[in-house]
Amino acid sequence: MISELLTRLRFLILRKRRSELDEEIEFHLEQAITARIAAGTDPAEARRQALIEFGGIELTRDQCEEQRPGWWVGTVVQDVRYALRGFRRNPLFTISVLVTLALGIGATTAVFSVVDRILFRPLPYAEPNRIVSLGFVHALERQEFMMGRFYVEWQKNQTPFSAIAAQSTGVHNCDLVENDPEQLSCISFQAGFLPLFGISPVLGRNFLPEEDRPEGPPVVMISYGLWKGHYNGDPHILERMINVDGHPARVVGVLPKDFQYPTLESADIVSPFALDPAAQQKVNGGFGYPERVFARLKPGVSVEQAYAQMQPLFNDDLKWFPPSAKSETRLSIRTLRDRETQDVRPVAWVLFGFVLAVLLIACANVAGLMMARGAVRQRELAVRSAIGASRGRLIRQALTEALVLSFAGGLAGLAIAQALVMVFVHLAPTGMPFISKTHLDLRIAAFAALISCLCGVIFGLATALQKPGLTALNARVSMSRNHAFLRRGLVATQIAISITLLSGAALLLRSFTKIEGQNLGMQTGGVLTVKVALPWWRYNTPQKVMDFYLRLESSLQRLPGTRALAVTDSIPPGGWQGDFRFSDLQVQGKPPIAPGTGGTVVGRSVTPDYFRALDIPIVRGRNFSDQDRTGDGREVILSRLLADHLFPGENPIGKRLLPGAHISSGAAAIVVGVADNVKNNGLTEQSDPEMYTLRRSVVDDWGGNHLLVIVDSAMPAATTGPWVRSEISSIDHTIPVEMEPLNQTLNRLADRPRFETTLLGFFALVGLVLAVVGLYGLIAFMTTQRTQEIGVRMALGATRANILRLIANDGLRTVLVGLAIGLGTALAVSRMLKTLLFQVSAYDLLTYIAVPLLLLLVALVAILIPARAGTRVEPSVTLRSE
Amino acid sequence: MPQPTDLLQGTLDLLILQTLVLEPMHGWGVAQRIQQLSKDVLQIGQGSLYPALYRLEYKGWIRSEWQITENNRRAKYYRLTPIGKKQLATELAAWDRLSSAIASVLGRATEASA
Repeated sequence: MISELLTRLRFLILRKRRSELDEEIEFHLEQAITARIAAGTDPAEARRQALIEFGGIELTRDQCEEQRPGWWVGTVVQDVRYALRGFRRNPLFTISVLVTLALGIGATTAVFSVVDRILFRPLPYAEPNRIVSLGFVHALERQEFMMGRFYVEWQKNQTPFSAIAAQSTGVHNCDLVENDPEQLSCISFQAGFLPLFGISPVLGRNFLPEEDRPEGPPVVMISYGLWKGHYNGDPHILERMINVDGHPARVVGVLPKDFQYPTLESADIVSPFALDPAAQQKVNGGFGYPERVFARLKPGVSVEQAYAQMQPLFNDDLKWFPPSAKSETRLSIRTLRDRETQDVRPVAWVLFGFVLAVLLIACANVAGLMMARGAVRQRELAVRSAIGASRGRLIRQALTEALVLSFAGGLAGLAIAQALVMVFVHLAPTGMPFISKTHLDLRIAAFAALISCLCGVIFGLATALQKPGLTALNARVSMSRNHAFLRRGLVATQIAISITLLSGAALLLRSFTKIEGQNLGMQTGGVLTVKVALPWWRYNTPQKVMDFYLRLESSLQRLPGTRALAVTDSIPPGGWQGDFRFSDLQVQGKPPIAPGTGGTVVGRSVTPDYFRALDIPIVRGRNFSDQDRTGDGREVILSRLLADHLFPGENPIGKRLLPGAHISSGAAAIVVGVADNVKNNGLTEQSDPEMYTLRRSVVDDWGGNHLLVIVDSAMPAATTGPWVRSEISSIDHTIPVEMEPLNQTLNRLADRPRFETTLLGFFALVGLVLAVVGLYGLIAFMTTQRTQEIGVRMALGATRANILRLIANDGLRTVLVGLAIGLGTALAVSRMLKTLLFQVSAYDLLTYIAVPLLLLLVALVAILIPARAGTRVEPSVTLRSE
Repeated sequence: MPQPTDLLQGTLDLLILQTLVLEPMHGWGVAQRIQQLSKDVLQIGQGSLYPALYRLEYKGWIRSEWQITENNRRAKYYRLTPIGKKQLATELAAWDRLSSAIASVLGRATEASA
């Protein structure tokens, strides 16, 4: 075995000189001739017979050469060199193919990198498909949540899960109190939480069961980022005491670097959830604290089975719910993947589809180009075949060329992909999960390589498989009929795909302009929102909170340029808002509203200048006044929508609302005014009715810590900002402040549609460019092929216009066929875009008129340029060139 | 002269090895010897003889060297290597198996038709 290998190696290195074989053959022939002469044959005849008997000497020589192990390496090098020479001779062809391939492969790879995590890659947990998110959902909260009281029961009585664990509803701000207080985000989860996900800390350990109970020893785990950043990767971090919100706690573990919370939040510090089963029946109206619950399905149990098994427990829980909530609360169990990616999945699929379509166009383009080249080279191939190149050798040559091209295209594509990914990450809105973690990895590089190889093999074979016939040697016009038909089909397909892409992008663009152009019902220019994160452990009574804000209010009012200043718990159109149920409202002297009807109402607690700051007109009655703030009465203002719902056909002013939803206990509140509607449910959703309560200077009105100050100033934000900051720090210099012009907030809300529109628009354009290049190439090629025909026609008296019409008609027919197919496809698939569209129908007429027109226009240019060149044929020259 | 028979795939290698087992020989000699021994039934086309010799040499089963023939002419002689000898034994065994299998099939076929 080894010696055979060594021999092979020896021969690979020391190639046999050809002369040795020649001498051997010579000897053989000599012997054959001698033997024949000895048998009595005439010497000349003997020589002739011997040569005939031997057969082709060249062939024998080649065959002997082919026995050499690794002989084909030489031919590959030869093929590659030959291919490169060919490319140099034909730079336009080479560049078109390379650019097409690079764009196709680059775009595909980049988009695959982005959607991979959303659509295909398993979540970073042990057996992620068995992890579910479970709990209640209702109109106000569509992500599963649980109430402590019921969770205690579920933990005890559930059957479908092998593990179940809770975390707090989300991260909250907390202070790391050291020399300089630093604001961080904190979360808490149960001791069983990490094991459920199959995660263990990189350093230290998970919480112990005895730490995860009320009054347990104070311990925390910290994030990898905090450990490396804040503590410089201190190896003695374990057992260190840190002070969180004024409470010392021991660090027992560091979480893995890439640990991903199932809620996709990020937190710096984790403390034990410390669920107190007994307390859950008392707090929060007997429901217990809300939490997020995750569980791992037992082997063999499906989500549906788990749902069925949990249903009885859920039905028991429902008995405790007030009637109003009963009808709209449901049990929900879904896989963690669904929870993490559900809202981006449609975009991801659309993006993926778009980019596959672009790749398809690119491949069709390359195939078309290669076929054109193949047609031109038929004669060359026929010559090579005639002087002894085997069919296999010709195919190999064609494949080599294709592979060399795809390899180069693939490399360029990777570079483009890297650049595109960087652009994506830069453009991506913060809400897109995973996107910031996107990078090109080896898998994706392999994916690109595979695509490029496939492209290469497919279009390479397309040219190689046509047998170069002998006729090609002397044929003058070599483009065969079905060949032309195939190319036309390719171009029509490209046009069709391109139309589909363009319509999709145009629909999104229309939708986006509607989002941007819509009337928000308020004035956002010059408004600065200031978010002050009061550390709750120092500002632990409503009194302290109120004192702080009232002081801040009066000091900010004195700032130059301030037109209006208000304190509120939320601002439209998005983000956190105090939603409550319409059916919870109760009008004095009217029967209660049927539970579960009327949907959601946004409640906002504001100071009087809120309406002035945002320029929201009071359409009826009056605004809150400064007297109201200190008075005994309780006033509310309704939005026009709410007033119409509550008091259809009546004058709402002076009506009274009983305490309950959004109105704290005490006397009934009187409606003093009606404000115009404001967009308050995100930019794209239908607005909800809205109720404003007055934030009085009374301690009762200052609970909760979601507070914002809005400053409407005549000065630019860049000037006002630092002033506000210094005013705040003169009250309490340790408080972190976040500030943002409202315009910018709005802009960010539109980030997601902007991102989608930009991306899809970009790909649609790439697709269009490629398709047009394909069309141009086809027409140019066909025109060149028909040079002689044109010459003859002109010699026979055809005018240039005749010729132009002849060529253009031919091209236009192809385009029209593509257009018709494309429109059909676009109409069929546009339904998939529905979830991404805002106030634009998937069958938007304008789009479906404008896009084909645009394409037709571009196509016409792509046809006319080469066609005009074709008409400049000089008949005398072409006829003689034969 | 009887019609020369086409060689079965792979048997050429076997024949060459078998021919070389007695003494080293040049290409012409190998062809002559096979023709002789098979009473002119097997004629080796030179077109396939030399590629086969080269193939065997690359495999390390035979080795070549230039020698002077009896009539004082330089010629390339091929000799069996130890690996070649082993290979010959294997191939012979395989051949025996194959030919006895074919014989028994044919034998049965004759019985059935009789």
